Amino acid sequence: MSSSAPGGLEGPFKFPNSPEPQSSSSSFVVPYIEEERPESPAKHGLDEKDFEKLVLGSDFVDESNVDEDCNVAQELKKYKYNIFVLSSAGKPVYSRYGNEDKLSTLFGVMQVLVSFIQDSNDVLKSIRCNGCTFTFLSKGPLILVSVAKTQQSDTQLLSQLTYVYNQVISVVTLSRLTKIFEQKCNYDLRRLLSGSERLIDQLLVFMETDYAFLLGAVRVLPLAPTARDDISNIIVSACSKIKNLVFALLIANNQLITLVRMKKYELQPSDLHLLFNLVNSSESFKTAESWTPICLPLFNPSGFLHCHVSYLSEDCQACLMLLTVDHDLFYTLSTAKQKIVETLRRKGSLKDINDALALKPISASELGIYGLRHFMCKSRKHPQFWSSRVDTPYDTPEEVEHLMSLYQNLHQHVHHPTRPLKLCYQQMDSEIMLGHITAEYEFYFTFEPLVTKSDAISAAGRLPSVWLKDDEEKKKFIFTDPTF
Amino acid sequence: MASRRKLLLKIIILGDSGVGKTALMNQYVNKKFSNQYKATIGADFLTKEVMVDNRIVTLQIWDTAGQERFQSLGVAFYRGADGCILVFDTTSMNSFASLDAWRDEFLIQSSPKNTENFPFVVLGNKIDLENRAVSTKRAQKWCQTKNNIPYFETSAKEAVNVEQAFETIAKSAIALEKEEIYNDFPGDIILDRDNKPNNGAACNC
Ligand SMILES: Nc1nc2c(ncn2[C@@H]2O[C@H](COP(=O)(O)OP(=O)(O)OP(=O)(O)O)[C@@H](O)[C@H]2O)c(=O)[nH]1
Ligand SMILES: [Mg+2]
Repeated sequence: MSSSAPGGLEGPFKFPNSPEPQSSSSSFVVPYIEEERPESPAKHGLDEKDFEKLVLGSDFVDESNVDEDCNVAQELKKYKYNIFVLSSAGKPVYSRYGNEDKLSTLFGVMQVLVSFIQDSNDVLKSIRCNGCTFTFLSKGPLILVSVAKTQQSDTQLLSQLTYVYNQVISVVTLSRLTKIFEQKCNYDLRRLLSGSERLIDQLLVFMETDYAFLLGAVRVLPLAPTARDDISNIIVSACSKIKNLVFALLIANNQLITLVRMKKYELQPSDLHLLFNLVNSSESFKTAESWTPICLPLFNPSGFLHCHVSYLSEDCQACLMLLTVDHDLFYTLSTAKQKIVETLRRKGSLKDINDALALKPISASELGIYGLRHFMCKSRKHPQFWSSRVDTPYDTPEEVEHLMSLYQNLHQHVHHPTRPLKLCYQQMDSEIMLGHITAEYEFYFTFEPLVTKSDAISAAGRLPSVWLKDDEEKKKFIFTDPTF
Repeated sequence: MASRRKLLLKIIILGDSGVGKTALMNQYVNKKFSNQYKATIGADFLTKEVMVDNRIVTLQIWDTAGQERFQSLGVAFYRGADGCILVFDTTSMNSFASLDAWRDEFLIQSSPKNTENFPFVVLGNKIDLENRAVSTKRAQKWCQTKNNIPYFETSAKEAVNVEQAFETIAKSAIALEKEEIYNDFPGDIILDRDNKPNNGAACNC
């Protein structure tokens, strides 16, 4: 694994008047520079001493300033993946762990790092040292920084930051964000974000545990194509006369049932993820019909869509989202929703949904393929995927996390920016990973460690015919594209 | 019994995040209370049919989110409101101090015909808690200065005064509705002092 920072940082990189540390009390030395010296900063003209000074700045070393829980060094060392959002003025906006106020020194340092390099018309992308990767993303008035002890690729780390940025945009919109900071560059954005930190918290957990983000796709609730078509048609006929309705989607248990869209407009996977995240992290939608603004950054970063959100009924926990550009459409959509539920009930669709929800995804071992532990399959044409149940030996959260890191690693090799692979075989310590790209699908497999290479590859070739036989393919993926 | 048309009243609940707006509504509509805080995202919409003054009234209740980010987005549902419930938390001075801003914002956004008499009711919630920060007197005084808004001290948790509060807002909304219908009716001709005929173009608004 290469550990060089991406991006050419040729420009001069000096620190005017870095404060001298007053003492070098070891408890405040940032741990990742204790053993190994940071490579990247040195490469870009920042000498180690400067870096240390900068990161340790005088505040860090002043013991009276540092109580138990704001020890920045501890703070950085403690977590596997931490993330900070700050304004370009260095004001805290969000931090995943700990209290942002107490981390204000760290925020200051991050701002300085980014702006120094910006001053030389360059971009700071990442710093790697002592097993930690600092990834930076500077967008408009915001700076996002992650500190990861994981083995993810630069692309993956950057994509996580972009998701968090998009989540912020989704709450405040880009136009509002830009305007606010134009008027007042020292604005404390936490005022507007208060209450939505939960959305970011949840998004991070979602990214760490769900393959949807890695694959850039959504899960689909398996349904017979006729059952799904019925549902889509019912939604279309209840909504087709409603002007300005852009999207209607039905989601259950983090899986897409159907998505109906206005011709001309499409919903990108990352926007879909934000909608999934909104539903997953908002318990309050379960108790009442809600009317909420949401900005979908890829659809349109500058404005809100208005979303009528409601669960279908007490006895069917699928969530219907009707998205419009018209803020006066609540009552119309509320009536349409009632009509949709009535018809779904009459046609037996609520039962179809409940039956599908009751079926757990199969485990890879049920397929009778020797040594296959787990696999997933993503459609290349549609941003949809399916994954088998995570089963023994991945029983503990640590094991599940381990499996995720294996797939992250496999995925980054298959999708190497300059050298993508059609077939990728990895012999790891305790498993064999295999990636296989066909014309229609991307397959990712986990095998027992003792399976031979040829067995693994031939199993991978055989799987589609076993697993996608008969109509299974049409159940697991949505090939239709209903529109209003 | 006179077959009067069914009345529908739109009521908006406003106040800082966490003061108990959703809890009050849940207590009123579903007779339930939960200690768990589930922030309202945007606004929730509920309806309840009640008998007020021998009349069936459907209350359309908009339970709004107190979080700052939703505040300027109120326009769409404030408009056409018949009554507004302002809530603060009796254990939080800040939430009480915000009442002015909530009331002003509401009046600006909803622009009711008659701001003087618009039906408001103020609820000081969570009186079951020990750590009281806003005295009854202080709250009452504020209400008096705002044209005598009725004030109730409530507990969504123990169902204290919740029914009464909603009933009061419904009653004053009905009263105002009657009044407005009357006002809408073309009034008697008022002759100008100098007795010029009113040709209907006198109003240039
Ligand atoms: N003890 C006590 N707790 C209450 C009372 N009313 C609400 N709570 C609690 O206060 C918290 C917030 O209540 P909510 O009703 O969700 O607050 P809200 O005003 O709707 O907040 P937003 O939706 O964010 O605007 C919850 O944990 C409730 O259980 C009350 O009368 N007594
Ligand atoms: Mg609420």
